[in-house]
Amino acid sequence: MQQDSRPSRPWWLAAIVVALGAVCVLGAASLPAASRYAGIGPGTVPRLVGIALIVLGLILAVQIARGETFEPQGTENADAALPMNPLAFALALVAAVLPIFALQTLGLPLVAMVSFTLVARSFGSRRLLVDLVSGAILGALAWYLFDRLGLQLGGFMPFAGLG
Amino acid sequence: MGSFDYLLHGFGIALQPMNLLWALIGSALGTAIGVLPGIGPALTIALLLPVTVAIAPTAAFIMFAGVLYGAMYGGSTTSILINTPGESGSMMTALEGNKMARDGRGAAALATAAIGSFVAGTIATIALTFLAPYVAELAFIFRPADYFALILLAFCSVAVVMGSSRVRGFIALLLGIAMGTVGIDVMTGQPRLNFGVMGLLNGIELTVVLVSLFAVGEILFVASRYDPGQETPISVRGRWMTREDFRRSWKPWLRGTVLGFPMGVLPGGGSEIPTMLSYTLERKLCEKPEEFGTTGAIEGVAGPEAANNAAAAGVLVPLLTLGLPTSATAAILLAAFQNYGLQPGPNLFTSNADLVWGLIASLYIGNAMLLILNLPLVGMWVRLLSIPKPQLYAGILVFALIGIWGVSGSQIDLIVMVIVGVAGYVMRVYDFPIAPVLIGLILGPMAEYQLRTALLSRQGSPWVLVETPISIAFLVVAALTFVLPPLIRRLRARS
Repeated sequence: MQQDSRPSRPWWLAAIVVALGAVCVLGAASLPAASRYAGIGPGTVPRLVGIALIVLGLILAVQIARGETFEPQGTENADAALPMNPLAFALALVAAVLPIFALQTLGLPLVAMVSFTLVARSFGSRRLLVDLVSGAILGALAWYLFDRLGLQLGGFMPFAGLG
Repeated sequence: MGSFDYLLHGFGIALQPMNLLWALIGSALGTAIGVLPGIGPALTIALLLPVTVAIAPTAAFIMFAGVLYGAMYGGSTTSILINTPGESGSMMTALEGNKMARDGRGAAALATAAIGSFVAGTIATIALTFLAPYVAELAFIFRPADYFALILLAFCSVAVVMGSSRVRGFIALLLGIAMGTVGIDVMTGQPRLNFGVMGLLNGIELTVVLVSLFAVGEILFVASRYDPGQETPISVRGRWMTREDFRRSWKPWLRGTVLGFPMGVLPGGGSEIPTMLSYTLERKLCEKPEEFGTTGAIEGVAGPEAANNAAAAGVLVPLLTLGLPTSATAAILLAAFQNYGLQPGPNLFTSNADLVWGLIASLYIGNAMLLILNLPLVGMWVRLLSIPKPQLYAGILVFALIGIWGVSGSQIDLIVMVIVGVAGYVMRVYDFPIAPVLIGLILGPMAEYQLRTALLSRQGSPWVLVETPISIAFLVVAALTFVLPPLIRRLRARS
């Protein structure tokens, strides 16, 4: 394995930081930089933040070039030394993306059921039916309780006309 | 009325049956989430925020305070019994506490942690009671330029102290500040950095970012590197604290408190440095240094646990008196105040005396409750660990969804959730600190407002920023934060 002798060089990290800085600077370009009285205007802070991000991104690139090491943070139940499991990551990501498209039409309980099952599966759960049922119960119960508290969570199952 | 009279008045409020119930709910919930992995006090309070539409501010903050303190107690339980420090503050407890538990002294370790937390929490709350009104008075003489310098100091210390790299700390901070500028500019009414998206005109909510970073980011990270190795908690049994243990514990409790409280008060102090300092100090002063790292020394649990709790109370001083949050949890508490249309700061002590003093009084009560909840009932909390992890993390995602969807029912928020959640994953893998993002997001707009107000008062002359001794002092200290980290690193290497 070559990985041990050569540090990985995540150039893309520095590129993203520089790009985000550029987005701030571009977004600020259409804003007036200075008002007559304050000397600075609504565009000043976004512009300064953008420039600072670009500079920091470049410093990060220099650090990466010098072989800076990045160690994953330690958390409970995760082994930072393990290689990434792309399938588990993808399943959990789908669980988070799904609500964007489905929450408005399917309603919270159903989306909670599917997302719950997806996350449980990404953590290696094989009990599909149990997960589906627990997710549905948790989603329905939470919807009911928070609805009673006055929270606007949308319809129970909007596509079926259930409010 | 002096502080003491106000405090008595506060007890009158906190001891009302309903408020006692809220304190109990908060303390129990806090202990539970302290024991459970994947969910901490900041995330819990963020998820509880929607509830604030239904209950009065005093009740809500009494509950939140219970969560804040309870998480500290619960965190030490898991550190000792399964060697998994839930947060950086209990890392040192895990070092000695777990070794004590393996040596059959788990009950003594839990007891010294709980009693030490109680002692430190109570002393620190007393300090908060009598210090806060003075700091609040001080804040009345602050001008916008002073406030700006103070926030700048908080920025520098947060970015420098949290995490392992200054560059990455500042990147995290600036990303937060950048997100804070999105939306309508309060001073001119112009939309900024929303790139034509109507849903972003109201800005990006702290709750959304916090839940995305702490819940979604965490779930993605743990899922991708999940270690199903079932850790079995060490039995709680074993001999309780002996007279000898008490004799060895009380000084570390007091020393830990003295270290923790001031460090919590300072911006960027957090709980990591005081616990580390306390551990190093106890190791040096211990009469039986050979126990450190072998069978576990009780001083190494007593000191850091006390420092941890004292720091948590210290964080409330700048939050309540200046409106300055110095940790992720304090940032979400500030957002909770804003939800109620309240601005923490000197005026809060006069305009909402019931709320402030009721909250402070409830800290004393919550501490006593937590001692009872944690000493005899510790076995019950440990049982929470038998919840299967796949379903636990799945449940956290469902609550995160509700927390975000409940803010405004906006699809944009859900898109932000995914983007920020993935960013949270990347930040964990490449070791960027998370808290500076939240501090930047909530303090960025405040810093900008103070800066622009200050400049406006002098027709844009930048000299206004260094006109008062207060602002100069803050700016000098901010510069000093760049010198401190090498010193801290040396300390870390020694411990």
